[in-house]
Order: sequence, then structure tokens, then C-alpha cells
Amino acid sequence: MKSKLLLLIFICASLLNAQNKKVVHPNLSGVSCKTCHSCEVPTKENPCIKPCPRDKMISIDQSPEEGPEVLIIDKFKEQSDIYAPVAFTHRLHAEMSGMSGGCKMCHHYNPPGQVIGCSDCHELTRKRVDVSKPDLKGAYHRQCMDCHRSWSGKVECVSCHETIGTSKNKKKQPIGYKGKNRVHPKIITPDKIKFDTPKTSGRIVTFYHSEHNELFGLECQSCHSNESCVKCHNKNKSASLKVKTTEQKHAVCSNCHNTKLNCSSCHLDTAKPGFNHKVSTGFDNSKFHSKLLCARCHTEKGKFKGLNNECMNCHGKWTQENFNHKITGLVLDETHAAIECAECHLDKTFAKPVCNNCHDDISFPKNIPGKLTKKK
Amino acid sequence: MTNQSRREFLKTTALIGTAVTGLSSKTNGAQTNQLSEDRMGVLVDTTICIGCRKCEWACKTSHEMETAPLDSYDDRSVFNVKRRPDSKSLTVVNEYLNNETSSLPIDVKVQCMHCDNPACVSACIVGAFSKKENGAVIWDGDKCIGCRYCMIACPFQVPAFEFEVALKPDIKKCDFCFERTKIGKIPACTEICPVEAVTFGRREDLVKAAHHKIKNYPNRYINRVFGEHEVGGTSWIYLASKEFEELAFPKLGKDPAPGVSEAIQHGIFAYFVPPIALYALLGGVMWINKNKKIEQGEEN
Ligand code: SF4
Ligand code: SF4
Ligand code: SF4
Repeated sequence: MKSKLLLLIFICASLLNAQNKKVVHPNLSGVSCKTCHSCEVPTKENPCIKPCPRDKMISIDQSPEEGPEVLIIDKFKEQSDIYAPVAFTHRLHAEMSGMSGGCKMCHHYNPPGQVIGCSDCHELTRKRVDVSKPDLKGAYHRQCMDCHRSWSGKVECVSCHETIGTSKNKKKQPIGYKGKNRVHPKIITPDKIKFDTPKTSGRIVTFYHSEHNELFGLECQSCHSNESCVKCHNKNKSASLKVKTTEQKHAVCSNCHNTKLNCSSCHLDTAKPGFNHKVSTGFDNSKFHSKLLCARCHTEKGKFKGLNNECMNCHGKWTQENFNHKITGLVLDETHAAIECAECHLDKTFAKPVCNNCHDDISFPKNIPGKLTKKK
Repeated sequence: MTNQSRREFLKTTALIGTAVTGLSSKTNGAQTNQLSEDRMGVLVDTTICIGCRKCEWACKTSHEMETAPLDSYDDRSVFNVKRRPDSKSLTVVNEYLNNETSSLPIDVKVQCMHCDNPACVSACIVGAFSKKENGAVIWDGDKCIGCRYCMIACPFQVPAFEFEVALKPDIKKCDFCFERTKIGKIPACTEICPVEAVTFGRREDLVKAAHHKIKNYPNRYINRVFGEHEVGGTSWIYLASKEFEELAFPKLGKDPAPGVSEAIQHGIFAYFVPPIALYALLGGVMWINKNKKIEQGEEN
């Protein structure tokens, strides 16, 4: 009887538990509770979280806008009699985190599902039994200082905190609080970078940064996914430069380019001119296609070969009915508007028309079969 | 009180006498067995310490020692020389260059390690040092005769002598904040540390936590917890990103460091008796003088 009762209790508990699990960790597929929790029934009060490397399970897909804008870190107000709270510009940091690993840069052990804050795991008191993770104050300070001191070298409390009592700030706003809606200043990107490599022949590699993000339309994160903040924030650049292996140097390019073959497509003895569609492919896109992103025509991701210069590739078959000739800067007169395209445009690139199929003494562009609308 | 102390001294001398006359050196034998499973410790993670030296300030303040104001501790030029704990600072933080992995320096807090088999305890011929149940190794000024064996015995060169005090110099060393922990507080340095680079807890839990860290972040740490086994284990244990010997930790084996008295006693068996007799005599003279001073003090 007793054992049956116990069993019943156990089943109820595990059912409850299963339900809870659904709420807290909605996308926890196939991960055992034991991976992270040491007790049978983890509760919010006692989650009994083990120090496990949960990196692989972390799935934060919040955008910076979904998180809080500014957090006032004043959890220690009662404990601290020397330093005032600080304002943490969460959104600003979240935006930038995209280039250094995303939310999990700080929300390091976030279980699958909702984003949890620091105080959900880190205890408020330093005197505690579980020493596997720092207390909340330690955790906060580590998060901030890990990066901030790496470029400023500063560890003084007053570089972030105001001293209580000395505040000239009437509104009692924490230091660093410069109002809501603060965004990261526009990042100034280089136009091109010339790398002087140690190779004896093909020393120079010219990298056109602006082409990659403006012309090719790559997001910053496409290449800068694992940067440390110090890379930009350090004023003393040479201090943060690391010696890289050949692979590491090529890694950022080899995501898209095959860096094992054809060294000379990048390594030249002089600076390489920027990308020019006409020079590289024979198709002059400067007239009608200059504003298009590459992907409009090169639809298969990462594949740029395979298209020829025939208009049909993208536009389908043009007929005198479906093509508005005005777009070319020439409105055809009535006679010519009724003629099939191919009568005048003999090749499939619809280049310069020929007139001598019908006319003996007329030629383009000396004679115009209509009215020009814009200067050529 | 004085009489009693004298009697105790006689007892201690008798004990030494026994040791001298042939029994094995057992002045410290009992200490090793007193180690409680729940003894406390501190895990110092040198990869986290930022070298703010708040711990130095807190240590002095909590021990009512003279200290400069807190904001003067921001001055990082003190790191230009390597310092040792002394009679005016029970703990110091030193900074080392971190050449390979990062431009950030490595900061190392130094204080008494509170050994599990403390050489200072076994060295002290009058039992002025003792290992407490909570892990602390503390010094009792009432018993000390000022022989300074502890200073020679300590493998970490921790105990410091107040040379500048003429009348009644003390041995100074970190006491693991014994007076604070007695009333349920945590050591002052572990309380103030902004990044919790020094974590106070059960030693056993700390050793476990340290190994977890190494396992989870193999690139951050070398695979060694200093103090887990060194000189038989210490209450304060350390993690680091590079070999401890490069951070001015002494190179030590796993065996407990012998106390000086032990070494001397072993010496006696091999050679002859007089040195220890001389030491005992000298010790006796110092002891009596000391008590005279106390008596005088009481009379005044
Ligand atoms: S470090 Fe030195 S002073 Fe401290 S307990 Fe060990 S032997 Fe004694
Ligand atoms: S434990 Fe206490 S005595 Fe020892 S260094 Fe820390 S504050 Fe100083
Ligand atoms: S207070 Fe903490 S971070 Fe600061 S020097 Fe001491 S141990 Fe290092």
C-alpha cells in the first residue's frame, strides 16, 4: 500500500515535472534533465544546476530589440555603502554582440528556451554552499571587466561607479546613463585594405571591404562572427595583434573563396583593382544592372558561375508585347513597336540593332527608330 | 596565569626532552589527524584576479592594521617590484606579464596557504601555531617565544617578524580571518573581491570546482590545482593559465614540509644531542624573559 502511494506520488511529481519542463525549456528535444540538473525534481527555487558545458545546447534567437534597453544594476544597493549602481546599456551591447558570438557571449549557460538573466543562476550572497559558480556580484564584474579592462587596462571602481555621497548628479542617474535609445555609433569601415604578406612573389593582397558589404551585400556578421570587442576598442592596435598561422589568416576568406587553389587570383605583386563585372566576366552590368545586389541574378548562394550574358537567363523571353522599350531610353515609333524584337536585335544580348534587314541606307544610331527620352 | 604558563612550558620542554631521548619526532603527529572533512579553504583563480588590491585593503582594515585610503590602491606602480607578505601586510598581490595568450597581465594574491600539514606548526617548539578545525593555521602570541623557527620552516616564507617592534614583537601572518569566521563571516579579502577571484568554501568542494573549471576551459587553465597536493595539501588552492613556478610559486613536492624542530631532532639521531639542548635552553631563557616582561607589565 505504502509503496503504491509512493509510486503514485512519484508519477505525479514526474508528470508535473514534465509539464514544467515544457514551459521552461520549450525546445529541449532529446536532452536529458540530468545533463544539467543534479536533483530529481529541479525547481525554480532550487534548480540544482551542475557546472556542465552547455554551449552546444544554447539556442538564443532573440534579436537585440527583444531584450531590455537599459538595465540599472542596483541589486546590491543594500550591501554597498561606497559605490552607486551602474546603468548597463543592454541593447547597445546586444547589438554589437552579433559580431562576437551573439547573446551567449554573456548568457553563457542559457538553457534552451527563454533567455535568463544573471541572477537566475548566480546567488546574491557571497557566503554560500555552491561554489561552482561565482556569486552575482562576481559574475557581473567578470562580465564587464573581462572586456572593458582589455582595452582600457582600468580596474578602478570609479571608472564605472560613482562614489556615493560625491555625486553631483542631481537626478541620481547612474554613471554611464546617457538616455534611452542610445545606439552604437556608426562603425566606420575601411574601403580597402592592402595586406603585405611574407610571400616573395605575389606579396600584395588587396581586400575591398566596401565591395563585400556594399556591393556583395554581406552582413558584418557574415565574416565578423567571433571578434573580441578589443579588436575595435583598443586604441593601441598593435598590443592586440596576435601572430596568426597561415590557416588562421586565410580562414576569413576561405568561407567563400577557395584559398587552396589559384593563389595568384588574390596574391599579386601590385595592388589589384576593384571588382569590375565587365572586366572579370565580359558582361557589362554598369548600364542597367548596376544597382542590383549580386544575389538578384546569382540566386544560388555562393555560386557565381553558370550564367551567360543572355538576357533570357533572368528575364525570360521578351516580345514586342511584354517589353517596354521606353526603359532603354528610346520610345519606338508605331511602325517599329509592332515588329518582333529579333528583327532588329539579332543576337541574344539585345546589343546594337541592325537596320539593313529592311533599310538600305539607314543605320543606328545615326537614324533613330522613334524618340529618345534620355541622353545616352 | 603566569605560573600555569610556566608549568605548560615545562611540559613542552619535557616533551621535547622525550623526543630528544630517542622517541620519534611526534610533536606534530596529532595535528594531521585533526583535519576535518568540512575544513574550509579558498580557491584563488589567477585568471580572474584583476589586480585591484581591494583584498589588501580589506585585510588590513579587518585586522586593524594601518592602511592608506582605499583609492590609493588604484596605483598600479606597486607592481613594479615583486612583494612578499610582511609584518605590515598579511597579503599582497603581485603582477606578472602574460606573454602568449593575452595582453592582460596575471595577478597573483599571496598569503599564508594554511597548509593541511603545516610546517610552522610542527616547527614551533612551544605550540604557538595550531591548525584549527576550520582549516585556519593561527598563531598564539601568548605562547610564542620569538624563536622564529616558523619563519624558517614555512615552505612559502609566510610568517613575518615585527623587527621594527622592540618590546614585544609579534609573528604576523594571515590568520584566515579566524575572528571573522568564528562569528559566521567570511574572510575579509574574499568578501570584498569584486570579481570573486578568491572563493571561500569547503576545501573539498573547491578542489572539485577547480577541476571542473579545468575540464570546461582547457584553454584557459593548465591542468594543475596548486595546493591540492603540494606539501600534503593546502587550504588555499590556486588555478592559473601558466606554470605556477613561473608565477613565483615555490617548487614543492607532495610530502609535508618538515618542521625545523623535526629536522633538528632527526639530526640528533644521526649526530649528537647538544644543539637541541642548546635551543631548548635558549628557548627557556627567552620564555622566562618574556614572562618577566608580562609580569612587569602587569605590575605597572
Ligand atoms: S604557508 Fe607557512 S605559515 Fe602558512 S600554514 Fe603553511 S607552513 Fe604555516
Ligand atoms: S584571509 Fe583574512 S587575514 Fe588572510 S589574507 Fe584574507 S583578509 Fe587577510
Ligand atoms: S580583490 Fe580580488 S581581484 Fe582584486 S586583487 Fe584581490 S583577489 Fe585580485
